Amino acid sequence: MTRGTLVYIVQRAVLIAFTVLVVSFGVFYVVHSLPGNAFISDRLHGRALQLLLHQYGLDQPIIIQYWNWLKGAIHGDLGISLVTRGAAVTPIVMQELSVSAMVGGAALVFTVGLGLLFGVLAAIRQNTWVDYLFTTFAVIGYSVPSFVIGSLGILVFAQWLNTVTSGAVYYPLPWQGTYGGGGISTLISISLPAISIGLYTSGQITRITRASMLEVTQQDYIRTARAKGLRARVITIRHALRNALVPVMSIMPSTVLGILTGVLVIENIYGIPGLGKEFVESIFTHDYNLTVGVFTIYTVLIGVANLAVDLLYAVVDPRIRY
Amino acid sequence: MATTVISPDTDVVTEYAGGTLAREQVSLWRDGLRRLRRNKLAVIAMVFLVLLALETVVSLFWTPYDPNLVGACPTYAFPSAQHLMGCDDLGRDELSRVMVGTQVSLAVGLATAFVVLVVGVLVGLIAGYLRGWIDALISLIINIFYGVPPILPAIALYVLLGRSVQNIIIAISATAWMDMARLVRGQALSIREREYVEAARSSGSKTRKILFTHVFPNALGPIIVQATFSIPIAILTAAFLTFLGFGVPPPQADWGGIASEGLQSLQAGFDPYILLFPSIAISLTLLAFNFFGDGLRDAFDPRQKR
Amino acid sequence: MRLSRMRICGTAVGLLGVVTVAACGSGGGGGSQSGQLASQQVLHFPTYQPPGTWDPGEADAEVDTEISQNVFDNLWRFDNNLNIVPDIATTVPSTSNGGISSDGLTYTIKLNPNAKFNNGDALKCSDVLYSWSRSVDLQGPYASNLSAIAGYAAAQSAAGAPPASSSGPGAASTFQGNIEAQLAKQVPAGSGSFVPSGLSCSDPETFVVKLASGCGWCLTAWTLEGSTGAIVDEKAIQSDPVTWWQKPVTPGCTDCMVGAGAYYLASYDSKVGFKFKSVSNWWGSPKPTLTEIDIDVHDPSAIAGDLTAWEQGHYDLIGYGGNSGNLTYPQIQSVKGSRFSSELLTQPKGRTTWVSFNIGYPSTGGPFLGESAAAKGLRMAFDLAVDKQGLASTVCHNVQCQAATGGLITKGLIGYLGDNQDPLAKFDPTQAKSLLKQYDPNGTLTANLKYSYNAGGLNDPVAAYLQNEWQQNLGVHVTLDPSSDASAFINNRLSGKYVMSRDGWQFDYNHPQDWFDNLWGYKATAAGANTSGFDDPTYDSILKQADAEPLSQALPLYNQLSKILSTDVVYIPLYYSVGNFVIASYVKGAGSNTAFDYYWDNISILSH
Repeated sequence: MTRGTLVYIVQRAVLIAFTVLVVSFGVFYVVHSLPGNAFISDRLHGRALQLLLHQYGLDQPIIIQYWNWLKGAIHGDLGISLVTRGAAVTPIVMQELSVSAMVGGAALVFTVGLGLLFGVLAAIRQNTWVDYLFTTFAVIGYSVPSFVIGSLGILVFAQWLNTVTSGAVYYPLPWQGTYGGGGISTLISISLPAISIGLYTSGQITRITRASMLEVTQQDYIRTARAKGLRARVITIRHALRNALVPVMSIMPSTVLGILTGVLVIENIYGIPGLGKEFVESIFTHDYNLTVGVFTIYTVLIGVANLAVDLLYAVVDPRIRY
Repeated sequence: MATTVISPDTDVVTEYAGGTLAREQVSLWRDGLRRLRRNKLAVIAMVFLVLLALETVVSLFWTPYDPNLVGACPTYAFPSAQHLMGCDDLGRDELSRVMVGTQVSLAVGLATAFVVLVVGVLVGLIAGYLRGWIDALISLIINIFYGVPPILPAIALYVLLGRSVQNIIIAISATAWMDMARLVRGQALSIREREYVEAARSSGSKTRKILFTHVFPNALGPIIVQATFSIPIAILTAAFLTFLGFGVPPPQADWGGIASEGLQSLQAGFDPYILLFPSIAISLTLLAFNFFGDGLRDAFDPRQKR
Repeated sequence: MRLSRMRICGTAVGLLGVVTVAACGSGGGGGSQSGQLASQQVLHFPTYQPPGTWDPGEADAEVDTEISQNVFDNLWRFDNNLNIVPDIATTVPSTSNGGISSDGLTYTIKLNPNAKFNNGDALKCSDVLYSWSRSVDLQGPYASNLSAIAGYAAAQSAAGAPPASSSGPGAASTFQGNIEAQLAKQVPAGSGSFVPSGLSCSDPETFVVKLASGCGWCLTAWTLEGSTGAIVDEKAIQSDPVTWWQKPVTPGCTDCMVGAGAYYLASYDSKVGFKFKSVSNWWGSPKPTLTEIDIDVHDPSAIAGDLTAWEQGHYDLIGYGGNSGNLTYPQIQSVKGSRFSSELLTQPKGRTTWVSFNIGYPSTGGPFLGESAAAKGLRMAFDLAVDKQGLASTVCHNVQCQAATGGLITKGLIGYLGDNQDPLAKFDPTQAKSLLKQYDPNGTLTANLKYSYNAGGLNDPVAAYLQNEWQQNLGVHVTLDPSSDASAFINNRLSGKYVMSRDGWQFDYNHPQDWFDNLWGYKATAAGANTSGFDDPTYDSILKQADAEPLSQALPLYNQLSKILSTDVVYIPLYYSVGNFVIASYVKGAGSNTAFDYYWDNISILSH
């Protein structure tokens, strides 16, 4: 690791910290400004409500509340939940982070894998029906919103499959997996969501892989294959693929972003207990610290993921030096 | 789809200073339009979009039924001759609602593209050309939000501002202009080093004139493409927002909201067509914009690798 | 599916021997229910909301109390028919057995000497004194259950606002910590400003309650399970007054969910699920048969999958834990049409929904304000224009709700007027139209009406139905004003910022006072809970009288109040809620009444 790389990492880390600060304050301000609160109900209002709000420090100026939150957050204490009274936010968010990371990670693997596969196949069989099929599939992929695919997935695999096989085989909707754990049930539970998320971003990867492979080798491998046989062809493809990785890496940041957006939406559809679902729910229930906590963790996650991608980019493309 | 060929016209022309500008522009446009017309998929997409726009205008004045009339038909009615897309859980005609939903999608898409064009281009030009502390500040802002998925600040802004179509547009545009600004900044940075720009500067032309007569037109290709692609992205983000439950208030209907109702109905045990029709509508619209954008990119910005 | 599972088991046993038998799960041999108990007494069911709080001093929601009622015992409990029976107290006090003094102001309660907490701590009068004082001091949503006790107001103001220096996330612990610190000094002596003066222990087994004034509803309110009358362990709360109720219980633990009930918390994860286990040698009765209760926290959208899981035997029932409203109409129909139809339980629940008018908040405006003939006439017009039976059949298919025809107090509860006894439940569009023409001939008064409600569930189709009724039967267009934020909506409703609003009440205990005190009249106004703003000197004086007298004498007075509300057209009655459960046939003793799900210590699992 060169000194330049270290400096770069530090610069990015500072930027991440700055982003987190700006973003967390923004969200904090927004959720605290919304009308309504987490406590009010048919029974809990008036004086009892005022007392409860005072008890949790919710009647202080927003700046002071934010300052208190920040003091805690620096030490890893993201405050307490208002809906599940008194429960610490940090362990909840960490638990959900592990779930979202699993789903997002699976989606990432799926999207890159599928994208590369289809891109290579399309490039090898350029201008044949295979090519047109995969290229069209790619464009359709990033035109169909992930929630449509997710909903269709529920329709087909959770409902129709259930009816058709009289309940013998079907995708189980209630989240079966364990937090941070592995096992078959977790794998099954994240399979459909990961595919729903990953299909969308795989389209771009397919197209870039195909284009870059074509550019690098033009018609070489077809000519070579005809001339030298299968083995040489395989080597040429591998060589082309390695060069294709560079532009694929260059769109990794937007792929990661796309996946994280997809995770947010898909978690809400499938009821997966991750950050995305928590974010939306906590906004509706006015669980302020949870919303801010989730947003903050999301931002840190993205910052770290982008940094990792950029560093990986440098590894893959030797022209890049920090 | 065309291969990556650099048109000799545009390249040669940019090397000359000043007066050949007019010829360059004509070449760009004529070339581009010719290429676009040859791209069959893009043409089909364009036709679809024109039809969609027509349908939106029509829906402002007429729909088969009042999209908000409860009990226009029995709840969850299967698609039939009288109700081509069936009816939803409150007995409202689906077809009318999907037609009206186009209004929101197109309004959000076009308005966001407009903001992206105006704000993004201006900011990018200023940052890239003027450099200095303005550039540092603008770049800082852009870099901060680089790592934030646009849907998160969109949700935050939207709940803060309250529910309306106007506010969806504001919420989405608030971060959408940044990608354009970054692109234009990059373009401005490289164009400003070109000889004819330097020549114009040393001959005493005002900054504003330089920006709009030299820098901007040379970046026009990528700008158009980026602006075109910002439309489906905005429509998609709006669909996500409304699907998640941050919808537009009734009586306005929108595709994401209908799809969300459809999914809930589906999970409650009813039939899936309330979900299917708006989903198909969104997908087709996004597909059309994407094909059209691809065509535009191939036609006007052939230097870009796909 | 259960039958075929057994067939597979049988075959597998034949083919593969002993190993497979173990894998076949609970129960034993291949017979159908023989009336014999299963070897594994574990109840497994899903819930669709994570707990808010199980702290009896702060608990508010049905989903919470349905669970906590099995962990915390009160001095008395309701049996399955909603009669009050002894629990920690040895008898139900009355004037005849001397438990209540002749003037009705002093309650002398003998405690069961065998009562123990589930961590092994003994339960003495000082714990009862502590529990009730703490409930008053915390001033949670149900603190008013104890409001008739002498010294209540003084204790309320003493505990008052939290210390001025409180701030940030630590504030909660400071406030509650302060209460704990004071109570530690003042209990068991029963003295000091944080203990209401009317509470005392004459000896470790006798609890004495002195009231400030006669109270006919107090005993019922104190029996409300999982709430302010529940008995908690001072030692177990003091070290962590905010989150003690989330911590699993071990013998002798401090800082854990300690109660005197038949079950204790064994593991807790608010987003995943919790487990409860039975207390060995529990002092109370009936002795628990179930050894373990497993509850999974699921997203509400998962109910379809859970129903399938129930059919396959992974869950024993669905609907417990306050989830009786989650099954959708198609799901209910599909269960009815399947071989599980006998396992569907439909149970009316003590919740009524109605439309409130803005009667007493002039700042919002609207044609329904006040008691003029015009206002009342218009209210009547809008009431008579709604077909209540039609609503119940169209929106709920008569399966998820029933038309409210017997007054606002739900059918099955004391104070119910009787089927079709509420004059406001009538549907008379002709009369409605003529009233409208009489009081609003030009249509100007009813031009800009809005019906406010919180979006979600049945509320949307109900709103659409109402809008349709008013359009068709009156020719008036009422705009729908849905609020997607429940708390903002409730806020507005409580302060009268609406013209017509969806309104409702979930009953707490089986006494009309629960309704008439909390919804209309001077008490509701004082508490800031009078949504319609209806307040009337006659109503208030009758209410004061009724609250002070024992139920038998008070009931006719409460019925008078019902009549006042009807004559004044304070509301449009809509429907009573109906809960739906699916309970496997091998689960014995499970079920529900209008108020709560049958306690877990009633339930046993037959072999299957």
